[in-house]
Amino acid sequence: MSEERKFICVSCPLGCGLTVTLDDSGEVVKVEGNTCPRGESYARSEVKDPRRVFASTVRVKGGKLPVCPVRSKTPAPKGKLFEIAREVAGVVAEAPVKIGQVLIHNVCGTDVDIVASRDLEAV
Amino acid sequence: MSERIDVLIIGAGPAGVAAGIGAKREGAEHVVVIERDWDLGGILQQCIHPGFGLRTFKEELTGPEYMHRFIQQAHEAGVEFRTNTMVFQIDRENNTVWTMNKERGIEALNPGAIVLTMGCRERPLGAIRIPGTRPAGIYTAGTAQRFVNMEGYMPGKRAVILGSGDIGLIMARRMIWEGATVEGVYEVMSWPGGLRRNIAQCLDDYGIPFHLKTTVTRVHGQDRLEGVTVAQVDDHMTPIKGTERFVECDTLLLAIGLIPENELSRMAGIDIHPVTGGPVVNDLLQTTNPAVFAAGNVVIVYDLVDNVSDEGLIAGANAAKFSAGKIPADIKRIPVKGGENVRLYSPQYVTGQTDATIFMRVTHPVEQACRVFAVSDNGTELYSQRLRYARPGEMNEVRLKTAKLAEAGEVSAITVDIQPV
Repeated sequence: MSEERKFICVSCPLGCGLTVTLDDSGEVVKVEGNTCPRGESYARSEVKDPRRVFASTVRVKGGKLPVCPVRSKTPAPKGKLFEIAREVAGVVAEAPVKIGQVLIHNVCGTDVDIVASRDLEAV
Repeated sequence: MSERIDVLIIGAGPAGVAAGIGAKREGAEHVVVIERDWDLGGILQQCIHPGFGLRTFKEELTGPEYMHRFIQQAHEAGVEFRTNTMVFQIDRENNTVWTMNKERGIEALNPGAIVLTMGCRERPLGAIRIPGTRPAGIYTAGTAQRFVNMEGYMPGKRAVILGSGDIGLIMARRMIWEGATVEGVYEVMSWPGGLRRNIAQCLDDYGIPFHLKTTVTRVHGQDRLEGVTVAQVDDHMTPIKGTERFVECDTLLLAIGLIPENELSRMAGIDIHPVTGGPVVNDLLQTTNPAVFAAGNVVIVYDLVDNVSDEGLIAGANAAKFSAGKIPADIKRIPVKGGENVRLYSPQYVTGQTDATIFMRVTHPVEQACRVFAVSDNGTELYSQRLRYARPGEMNEVRLKTAKLAEAGEVSAITVDIQPV
């Protein structure tokens, strides 16, 4: 018995409708509906290890803004996003903050870093 | 004697920063971008989610990261930025631009050319006349985005989102990540306003209900919003009796459309297109005032910032050419018309001087194979591209080649359209 799964590709603004066919052991047999290789790799990752880029803010002390935007440098496991959100919410950074600066290394043991996504000057 | 400014750009968002780069690359000596905020980057500084710049940089950046790269390029190119500076008037007789700044005071600038890059504004609650009280807790999605992402405030704990524009969808996920609940997204049309991938990654990922052909018919609450009444609508968008339902919430976010911001353009005596709400432009992005150019969401609301930046580069370069006397006053103007299923499009004229991209949106979705095309009034097909579908929420493009236009001979009008095949 094979299984079919359908979802929308989020790799680019086109939003292709993907159909992934899995065999009995859960291995991907084929991917349909994608219009580029990014869609194929998204489909494979989505059925095995779904990931999303996480983006939020952290509190900042002495900055021109009270918060600084951050992101996961690479996509993080989808099932851990809320856990990551809680850990990010506890961080307070000191201004100035530089874009790309690592604010949490290996967040929640995911091997993914949380980095600042803008420069923020001190007041 | 005041200083010589070759190109003056109004607004340092993605269009304005790119216009600065475009003008410098074209050889303009003194290029100044005026920005009323203390910071550069415009609205993208609050769009902290990824999804920007895949076409330009081959990777998906967050809004601030995308702007960081362009701002760096602009600094390297020698663009001058004046922040905390407001343009409060443009005189239509002589194109004098009046600016105000705490240190510099009031100045009258007479640049060689102007580029309008003021962006757009969100449609507010007043635009849709929902009956009921006017309690606290009702915001446009972009205002809420600014609160959360730049000022560190949560607008509420339990939200309803009216309209399915991309900012609303992005804010639904943002509220969830910050610990709020989102009761649902309600869209009056029978199709989504935003991109499909945002329905998938912002709503479906978190099980947020999405209701098409449904709208908010009343707001409740005295001091603070206590809930909204929602109802399904018929094909004429009239609420259907008996489908009303009360949804408890303390926050209502509006994602009901964007309007180009053209207060200054009107002062400058520029023709505004009644459907796009932006300046009428030719493919050089020159407005009906030859010394004034315009680019980005001030002209037509785009889906992608990559397009906004591209248009900014073009407008900046052409403004530099105009300032140097390289654009003749009698430049050709071939009118572009929208066909049956075209709601809006820009530019409205082509000059035949340059390859041009005409951006357009369909009126009704075409959920089957179709083609986007351009045809001249003498019957020559100038462009044709097959599409798997066409939807109002996703812009389509016609790419006109000068060579193709020249081959067509005497052309006095071009029609663009999307039709099933």
